[in-house]
Amino acid sequence: MSRWRPSPAEERWLEVASELGAAVPPAAMVERTGGWRSTGPLARVALFVLGFVAAALLLAILGFDSEATLLVAGLIAALAAEWLTVSKRLHASGIEEGLCLAGYLLVGAWITTLIEPKSDVVGETVDALVLIAAAGAAGLRRLNPLVTTGAVIAFVYWVGSTATAHALDQVIGGGVTGVAFGCVLAALALALGAREYRRPSHDRMLDWLVATLPVAAYAQHASQSYYVASLLPGAGTDRLATTVLLLALGVALLLAGLRRRRHAPFIGFMGCVACLAVELRLATTLATETWLILYGLAALIAGVALDRYLRQPRNGLTSVALTHRGGPLDLLQTAGATLLAQRSAPEPPPPESTFTPGGGRFGGGGATGQY
Amino acid sequence: MHTLEPELRTLHAEGTIDDATAARALARDRREVFSLHHELRATLYAGVLLVMGGVGLILARHFERIGPFSIVLAISLAAAACAVPAVRAKAAGRALTVAGDYLLLLAALLVSADLAYAERQFTLLGPWWSWHLLLLAVVHAAIAYAFASPLVLAASLTALAGWFGVGGTLGDVLLFSESTPALGARALLCAAVIAAWRYADRHARPSTSFSDVFDHFAANLAFWGAIAWCIEWPWLAAGLPLLAALAYASVRRGLDTGREVFLVYGIVYAAIGLCAAVVPWINDTTASLGFILIVVCAAAAALWQLRRRLRESAP
Repeated sequence: MSRWRPSPAEERWLEVASELGAAVPPAAMVERTGGWRSTGPLARVALFVLGFVAAALLLAILGFDSEATLLVAGLIAALAAEWLTVSKRLHASGIEEGLCLAGYLLVGAWITTLIEPKSDVVGETVDALVLIAAAGAAGLRRLNPLVTTGAVIAFVYWVGSTATAHALDQVIGGGVTGVAFGCVLAALALALGAREYRRPSHDRMLDWLVATLPVAAYAQHASQSYYVASLLPGAGTDRLATTVLLLALGVALLLAGLRRRRHAPFIGFMGCVACLAVELRLATTLATETWLILYGLAALIAGVALDRYLRQPRNGLTSVALTHRGGPLDLLQTAGATLLAQRSAPEPPPPESTFTPGGGRFGGGGATGQY
Repeated sequence: MHTLEPELRTLHAEGTIDDATAARALARDRREVFSLHHELRATLYAGVLLVMGGVGLILARHFERIGPFSIVLAISLAAAACAVPAVRAKAAGRALTVAGDYLLLLAALLVSADLAYAERQFTLLGPWWSWHLLLLAVVHAAIAYAFASPLVLAASLTALAGWFGVGGTLGDVLLFSESTPALGARALLCAAVIAAWRYADRHARPSTSFSDVFDHFAANLAFWGAIAWCIEWPWLAAGLPLLAALAYASVRRGLDTGREVFLVYGIVYAAIGLCAAVVPWINDTTASLGFILIVVCAAAAALWQLRRRLRESAP
């Protein structure tokens, strides 16, 4: 039993309590979880943001007169996070995670002020690497998959922008080094995910990498160097290399998802399919609206087919929700429908509007404010 | 991978969880049953998003080449085609599937785009053009009720908020410079209409599945309106008490129904509103930042305590 973080056994019981929800009485779990206290997903997000904002405000209050304020604000935030962990036994509660991440980043930022000269480790600044290491350390300290994944994605971006990567890009194609590195890390996480872990959080960290790295690595390729590289001779080779990488990883993810029956490989596979779709679009001369509609229809047809095929469970696989607990995903669905509805009803130009201005985006009927 | 089977078996053996709960939990843990429901929803959402993006571009780029009548007709036919699975399910007395629900949403969105385009091209409503949003709200509501679709209801409420002149996105909420008392009044009025609609719906159909959607829209719009009132004097005098009342009601609702999101709404919106009301009156920057820090810490502590109470009061 540790004062600094839950033991693997305690973390497993916390996971059981979270999985079973109200089906298990909280009193039955208190001793097993070692008194560690967690919170729900939405409150965790809100508390994480509040913790991070609090640390940023602390820095703003201390001022930016000298670099030492970075260290002081960082240490205060990090120590506050440790105090919440040790004395209040908070784990995965958001507030201590936000404070810890912000604190480590501030200390990392202070360390970067000590590093001279400012640049050139393989053509890229060490400052970024220090900040990535700080974020990674915070993620590992808090066993937080979001933070560790963010750090790994930032590391992939860092690697992709080094002089070594640019030199390799000259040979194998623009931006391919970053994609290849991201895909290799995703494949490694997928392979490590086959092992059994005592801590659910370690498993979750690998899952997040598997789910996000393909898209994140490809996004850098697509957004930064791809279009420049496409103008150069040999643009076809990098497209081919990227396609082969994504295809190989996508197949591996799909097979692993079907075999292990876990969401992360399936999400990673969907990301690979989306990246391949963009590659295919770039290889053709289809108009944007045409490929949007074609891909949209393909996604809808695939969804309808999957829904019909798996409506009756097949070998344990089903398209039906297993629980009807309303949660963040339902909220996300409502928000998504709202966003789509707003975009589909653009504002018509008012030739001679009877309404006074200031009626908001839609210039609606209540714009006179005389209700 | 990890398995929680030993822990689940321990709980079952000591009688903490019953046979049915243990069987369900073990089946999920061993992956004997595995749902692709979320992946399916994400795929369908992406499909709707892409199709609507393409339709939007067609409306913007090709209307002169194709002709407005052809476009309106084509989109109407596409909307009708998307509604076919929902109509067939209803005719057969089956519940709407997740795919049918998303296709119905696409149909409703195509109707929205079609109507907006027709209004733009033909100025059917003349100076009353903004009323097409109210018309859309009514049409979407009729579709939502006909097929029991919460997704289409969200589209209806979005159109209604648009008619009231309230954008309804998080970005709009946080754009304080554009928040005016008039905008706040419209947001509050819209929230009141949605709340009244919600209670009428609940009264008429006790088994309704729409209450959550109504609740989220009403809560967000009401908080937005109250915050807009907190920015300017003399509206501040009404805005601050209103914000406090709304925060209390939201937290109360969260505790009563066991829904964490209403605790988050109550605390976070109250903190934003309090800062928006007080900070402009503090001239010193350090004091302003200090005040915000105190509010943030208090909000975090309050949210943590309330979340604990929610868990302890869970059945």
